[in-house]
Amino acid sequence: MEQVPLFGKDGFNKQLMALLLLFLLAGCQQPVDEVSIRSENVGFTLDEPAAVTIQQPAPLSNPINGLKRTGIQPDTLKIPAIDVEAQVQHLGMTKTGEMAVPDNIEDVSWFSPGYQPGQNGRAVIAGHVDGVEGPAIFWDLSELQLGDEVLVQDEDRTLTFKVHTMESVPLDLADVSAVFGYTSSPELVLITCSGTYDFDRGTREERLIVYASLIENE
Amino acid sequence: MKKILVSFSVAMALVFSLLAAGVMADSHTAKVRVLHASPDAPAVDVYVNGDLTLEEVPFKTDSGYLEVPAGTHDVEVFASGTEYAAGEGVLQADLAVEAGKAYTVAAANLLESIEFVVAEDSMEVTEGKTKVRVGHLSPDAPAVDVGLIGGDALFSGAEFPGITDYAELDAGTYDLEIRLPDGTQVLPLEGTELAADTVYSVFAVNTVDSLEVIALVDYEAAGSPDGMPTTGLGTPDQSQSMWLLIGGALVLFGTSTLVWKRRFQ
Repeated sequence: MEQVPLFGKDGFNKQLMALLLLFLLAGCQQPVDEVSIRSENVGFTLDEPAAVTIQQPAPLSNPINGLKRTGIQPDTLKIPAIDVEAQVQHLGMTKTGEMAVPDNIEDVSWFSPGYQPGQNGRAVIAGHVDGVEGPAIFWDLSELQLGDEVLVQDEDRTLTFKVHTMESVPLDLADVSAVFGYTSSPELVLITCSGTYDFDRGTREERLIVYASLIENE
Repeated sequence: MKKILVSFSVAMALVFSLLAAGVMADSHTAKVRVLHASPDAPAVDVYVNGDLTLEEVPFKTDSGYLEVPAGTHDVEVFASGTEYAAGEGVLQADLAVEAGKAYTVAAANLLESIEFVVAEDSMEVTEGKTKVRVGHLSPDAPAVDVGLIGGDALFSGAEFPGITDYAELDAGTYDLEIRLPDGTQVLPLEGTELAADTVYSVFAVNTVDSLEVIALVDYEAAGSPDGMPTTGLGTPDQSQSMWLLIGGALVLFGTSTLVWKRRFQ
């Protein structure tokens, strides 16, 4: 029996293969959904013993006074490791109760009804991962490493936080009250979108959550 | 009045695997803080389920809240630096904690009769109000009242080793004192500022001849949204993915045609 040529004898198959090549090329030049690829296998947490300095505020004559840490109303967020510098908007909730986010892709938002950066508890700052045209301010958030520094500033003070945990959580499993909850030391939480796009919900399936703890207080 | 301890800063090694559980997606964790309130005991190491969790915790120091999985945990206390051996600690307890709740675990009493005093901490306060409770952790001090100087008692008959219920008050500044039930002042706490939306615990520690107070914030209230933010304005090009699907289907079709041809031509 005569061997069948790979591409077939008729023009129909040639056309098919040409089409296939075209698709392959298109695929190479433009990844379908880079955000979902980049956030596919992210996540870490500090699992080695780390020295934590517990500083009691210098007591006044009354040990109950001066216990509470004061935070700041942040203006600027800087993450040198991924070259981020952003204005911080102060926003609350949307009509549907979600944490509100800026309507542009350059700014980030601090959830102002929640904890202030520098106060005990988790202060939360969110930013977009992408916009209609491409990458947004938190595009590289998934590139952060253990120990990277995050700086939050107002007019007078700069607070430095150190990244200790990153996770990408399916929306339905995210424990919102814990992410925005109380801790007995100052924490900063950064949030952006991750995972594959869910066209039914109109948002990505997961949220990338980065936790950092205050290391110095100037 | 006795000079209340000056600032102290202590390096404590935390095994963060415990903490990590707290920030992970599931909410089945409890908050636990450990307080060293045994006046003559050395600094201690605390093991949870056999893992070194807190290192070199000295007297009058607390760990801050650690997130631990809900359930029962073997908590064991050793003099700092002692090699761990199950069941050999100066203090051991099976501590049951429920998800979403917070606890203070104090190592109290003199070393020879050291014991755990456990209390559940409040993680809520009426908006604009303040909440406070007192713990009597001074092993040889008599029962005391805590109240306004020249006024009513807020807490009556607090005894070692006990932690009272919370009292919810208007936020403000109070001239408080610890006093014997007959009115004799033990320790003045004038100008105590109790802030709104804040929950406090005030522990009387050390022996009666050097009685002092450790105050801790249990909780500060703040707002939380109902849902996570929507932080992507972009959408992957749906038409492009559709074309890729169609492309895939065509490829399958093409290949099967080839195979079919191979077999039957």
